[in-house]
Amino acid sequence: MKRNFFERIDLLLLIVTIAVIISGLLAIFSATYTSGTDYFSKQLSFSIIGIILMIIISYIPPGIIAKSSYIFYLISLVMLVLVLIIGKKISGSKSWFSMGGFGIQPSEFAKIATILALANFLSQSEDGFRNVNKLKDFIKACALVVIPVILIMRQPDMGTSLVFLSLILPVLFWVGLSPYVLFIIITPVLVVLGAFFGMSYFIAAVIIIGIVLLLFKRNIFVALGILVINIVIGYSFDSLYHKLQPYQQNRINALFDPTTDPLGSGYNVIQSKVAIGSGGLFGKGFLQGTQTQLKFIPEQWTDFIFCMIGEEFGFVGSVFILLLYMIIIFQLVNNAYLTKNRFLSIACIGFSSIILFHLVINVGMTIGIMPVIGIPLPMMSYGLSSLLSFLVMMGIGMSAYRYRNQY
Amino acid sequence: MDLEKRKYIIYTFCFATFFLFMTRLSYLQLFNKEELSRESDKNSIKTITVTPPRGLMYDRNGKVLVDNKPSYSVTITPSQFDYNNLNEVSEILEMPPDKLEENLKSFKGTNKFNPAKIKRDVDFKVISRIAENRERLAGVDYQTEAIRYYPNEFNGSHAFGYASEISKKSLEKQIGDYYKQGDVVGSSGIEATYENYLRGVKGYEFITVDVKGRELGRLNDGKNDIPPVNGSDLILGMDKDLQEYAEKLMGDKRGAIIAVDPRTGEILCFVSKPDFDLSLFSGKTDTKIFSSLVNDPEKPLFNRVIQTKYPPGSTWKMMMSLAALDVGEITTTSTINCPGSFTYGNRSFADHGSYGNINVIRALEVSANTFYYKLGLQIGIDNYHKYGKLFGFGSKTGIDIPNETSGLLPSREYLDKRYGANKWTQGLLVSLGIGQGELGVSPVQMVAYTAAISMNGLYCQPHFVSKIINNANGVDEEVKFEQRRIDMPQKYYDAVRKGMFLVVNGGGTAQGIKSADFSLCGKTGTAQNSSGKNHSWFVGYAPYEDPRIAICVLGENEGWGASFGAPTAGALMLRYLGGEKYETDGIIKTVGDSQD
Repeated sequence: MKRNFFERIDLLLLIVTIAVIISGLLAIFSATYTSGTDYFSKQLSFSIIGIILMIIISYIPPGIIAKSSYIFYLISLVMLVLVLIIGKKISGSKSWFSMGGFGIQPSEFAKIATILALANFLSQSEDGFRNVNKLKDFIKACALVVIPVILIMRQPDMGTSLVFLSLILPVLFWVGLSPYVLFIIITPVLVVLGAFFGMSYFIAAVIIIGIVLLLFKRNIFVALGILVINIVIGYSFDSLYHKLQPYQQNRINALFDPTTDPLGSGYNVIQSKVAIGSGGLFGKGFLQGTQTQLKFIPEQWTDFIFCMIGEEFGFVGSVFILLLYMIIIFQLVNNAYLTKNRFLSIACIGFSSIILFHLVINVGMTIGIMPVIGIPLPMMSYGLSSLLSFLVMMGIGMSAYRYRNQY
Repeated sequence: MDLEKRKYIIYTFCFATFFLFMTRLSYLQLFNKEELSRESDKNSIKTITVTPPRGLMYDRNGKVLVDNKPSYSVTITPSQFDYNNLNEVSEILEMPPDKLEENLKSFKGTNKFNPAKIKRDVDFKVISRIAENRERLAGVDYQTEAIRYYPNEFNGSHAFGYASEISKKSLEKQIGDYYKQGDVVGSSGIEATYENYLRGVKGYEFITVDVKGRELGRLNDGKNDIPPVNGSDLILGMDKDLQEYAEKLMGDKRGAIIAVDPRTGEILCFVSKPDFDLSLFSGKTDTKIFSSLVNDPEKPLFNRVIQTKYPPGSTWKMMMSLAALDVGEITTTSTINCPGSFTYGNRSFADHGSYGNINVIRALEVSANTFYYKLGLQIGIDNYHKYGKLFGFGSKTGIDIPNETSGLLPSREYLDKRYGANKWTQGLLVSLGIGQGELGVSPVQMVAYTAAISMNGLYCQPHFVSKIINNANGVDEEVKFEQRRIDMPQKYYDAVRKGMFLVVNGGGTAQGIKSADFSLCGKTGTAQNSSGKNHSWFVGYAPYEDPRIAICVLGENEGWGASFGAPTAGALMLRYLGGEKYETDGIIKTVGDSQD
């Protein structure tokens, strides 16, 4: 009986998740204990509720979740439309419902619903996954993700829109999209980035793309066509950029180089780099961070929570936190591999890619290698909707382990 | 490609990311630590909030009504304060040490690096002592801020309202996080309604501080500071001289005066007495003073212009006349017999005199009760409610200050609820017909109604503010208020206005205020009061031909309308229309002996 228990519960995922949440609570406490608002207690009570919810969800058989996934998806679309009409505007975006003392962000729940709907769609095939190399199914799969993205862009919430888009490629790759198609999809992004940084980068990007296309040894005319399209895209981006107003250009520049806007979004990045760097190997100690305690970093309990870790717990603490996330992501991918249930397998890949994307953007932003896009650090940043939605994902991820032998 | 291969590709990608981040972290934390630590020790930036002065209020002629003046607050920065200095500081501030300590404790939980306001509005002597001992008294400092200053001889307390330190409760309830502890917020009157305009927008100064929080200087010479935006100024419709005179006339009596320009609804004067000195609230608000105001049996905080609910007495008779004319129960020439009293069922209702067969104009002039006892019965409760509603009774006028009452306008529904369905008799309508009984109106409703009659049915929402001057962009914003037309044949209004004219200029109840220079019109009224002397009402407007002022005066326990309401309103209308030479010594003399 006891052996059976350990065989059925994903203990590693459970323990590491709780460790991440505790680290987050410590950081929130340190960031806010002088602020006069009790963020810690709120987050603590929701953590407890969330963990219980996660464990309950891990018991739900996959069939039930799969069957209701389209309904969840429709409900979340309705909520995304509603929030545009009756939502509350906070710092420029209409992405919140105000309920009592709490704000509810429907886009957080739409994340889960979209992944589940996508997983359900891609797993509905006689044998194996749907063939996304067929154009019809490929477009249908993309549409499932793009519809909520369009609604979220209307709020407007850039960060969350990107989160949704980030799950398309990993999921399609998992169900069998050929690496060749995958690469073709990525090429315009590479070209535009190159064009942004300058002519030489642009040329380098085009050359690299050309070489990789040759290495695939597919139809040479198709490869050439793709290359030409990419060059056109790069050029039109360049002329488009120069048609923008100077202040709009500045905004884009500040995304990549914070020093161009030292008191706007760049201010946070410079301060957060200083905070993390001054932490050194072991950090300044719990509650001892001067940067964060002096409130140089605004709202460090939300998007800039990683600063607290970096400053007060140093390199050791930062790497420890990164390791915890890596374990979570690896375990989710491994569950996706182990489970015989195709629906849960795809869902796990969706969850892990979302967590990875959040991690890369959020931590990358605080250490100054990613643009400033306001998305939370999973399960650590203060924010109740986000916390609950990640814990629901972890619950489903754990159920993939529990039901790994069920088709 | 099988799943296992795909799994390892994903693993590799994650590893690469992890490795990249480790590299970057080691670069920042291990190899650049020294430089970034120095940076963190010296080049830290502290943000200081700059609160702009509140916008001013001007009267219709550009005279200042509500001003600002500088005031000093003593602050203590908890992180720097040395508790050994507690006794010395408490002596300088003339604040007992335990009180000071308690005060400091109340800021626990807020940022200990930010200066906390310990005492507001202190004397300049205190400031100079702090400045002299600054070296020794670490963490003790002062801030200069603008507080409200009232340059005039009158109070205007209920109109302007007060702006005071935000309460803990409102801080927690606020939407967003604009207000911080110690901020001033408009809490009543115009200050509250126009808070978002008056307060302006806070600015921020960036100051370089070291790791201990010591200030090193302005960041980038202050070039990055975000300057505050001064609050917008308000232009009121109020007439400063009229307001001053009205408060003088009201003296230490209890009651209310409101006058409006009937063409627009702009409020010319607004008095509720007893009142209080607004400057009590502008600096440190002493809780003792506040609770003494709250507990005062005379209720100085009660706004008698918008919150009283008294029966209107005979000032209601214009309403009844117009209702009866419009439903066709009478015409402008038809007559009703008015012997000295009226009997309904087995109850007899008194009148001031016996008038014989009289028409509606004469009925208004002499305020014949019998005429309106009968009209009350004739039009019935439904029309009574309908026309009352039409003239703004039983609902808020929408005046632009908070806490207005809608009063009480009885309807069939109301009476059914109160007495049980069909348990009440038509007899109630007899008293209601002369504006007594279960009917509650406020002076602001009365003045809006009077103004509407004077303008032949143009009902204007009474309001204080006519224009908002945005100091940031210099653009004036006209404030729009509702106007509506109460549609009735012109001859009905003509008849009622004629009656009101004769009240003063004929043989009516207010003939004592007749003026040779201006044709004043009006109607006296007396609200029956079972628990003391009756309340004196007067509503009026002038001039008769081309109204420029409409007024309502209420004197609590001042007896007949003619004893207080009429002479006060008369004096004010003359003062407004004729200017300073019409100003008297301010002592109100009862006019005539008309009992109504």
